[in-house]
Amino acid sequence: MVVYSFYIFDRHTECIYAKSWLPDSSRPVSGSQPITNGSSKPIRRDDNDNTAKLIFGTVFSLRNMVRRLGGDDDAFISYRTAQYKLHYYETPSNTRFVMLTDIGTMSMRNVLHQIYINLWVEYVVKNPLSPVEHKGGEGVKNELFELGLDQFVRGLM
Amino acid sequence: MTVFALIIINKAGGLIYNKTFHEAGLNKVSTNDLLVLAGTFHGVHAITSKLNPVKPTPDRSSTASNSGLANRPEPPSGLEVLESENFRLQCFNTMTGTKFLLFTDTTQANVDVTIRKVYDLYSDYVMKNPFYQLEMPVRCDMFDRKLLSYIREINNR
Repeated sequence: MVVYSFYIFDRHTECIYAKSWLPDSSRPVSGSQPITNGSSKPIRRDDNDNTAKLIFGTVFSLRNMVRRLGGDDDAFISYRTAQYKLHYYETPSNTRFVMLTDIGTMSMRNVLHQIYINLWVEYVVKNPLSPVEHKGGEGVKNELFELGLDQFVRGLM
Repeated sequence: MTVFALIIINKAGGLIYNKTFHEAGLNKVSTNDLLVLAGTFHGVHAITSKLNPVKPTPDRSSTASNSGLANRPEPPSGLEVLESENFRLQCFNTMTGTKFLLFTDTTQANVDVTIRKVYDLYSDYVMKNPFYQLEMPVRCDMFDRKLLSYIREINNR
């Protein structure tokens, strides 16, 4: 299995953490880009930001759709296209965890749950220096959390 | 093994057909809400195809100019399967952009075969109906009958 990227959104719909495990040449970009002949094009900084916004819009719409159809106790778990698979986990406090993997991957819901319990709660929520609201990713980008997440995901691959 | 419902969305995102086969499967949704849902899904489907994190390899695109259209990479597909706790949604996008959405329970197998068969029925009894107006709501008795008997066969298996 391959993990492409990982995102955390807070309850104010803001992307507070984003990480990509893709090599630089195939970084996720939003929108269609003209195909260049392999020349290295500088990656705009807001590319990742736009992708995060698109991902949030997608999971938000799908979550609401699932709730409308399946009842209030239903939860959106994942969707798959021919190219990738998106996994979703939402905590009771509306923090949303999203992970993009290849299509062969089984359900990653428990993995996202583990990240929430063992990394998010341990290193971000229990950190006395971390703010309550993570404006612009403040308090999330600490060494222990990033290191733990990287190790955990690399261990899965 | 249960098929809950079928929805057909035209290429403009309009709802042209919906049928419930199993009452207990999904929540009751008003036609108005269903129209909104179809439009939302149409948009989300377009976004999910843009979110593709895997870029086509650059060396293939550089040779494409020599050999013409033959090795142009497949366009990214949009959402194909969505999973939630209570149901599973399979989406089949035809070449012309008509979308077939089949809602089943989470254990249903071979949904892609079922959805192809539904597409067959649609081509035979809707597209070949001389009184059917393209992109308009489907009101064909023969299609209704054949679809109902086919799905009943699956649900009773």
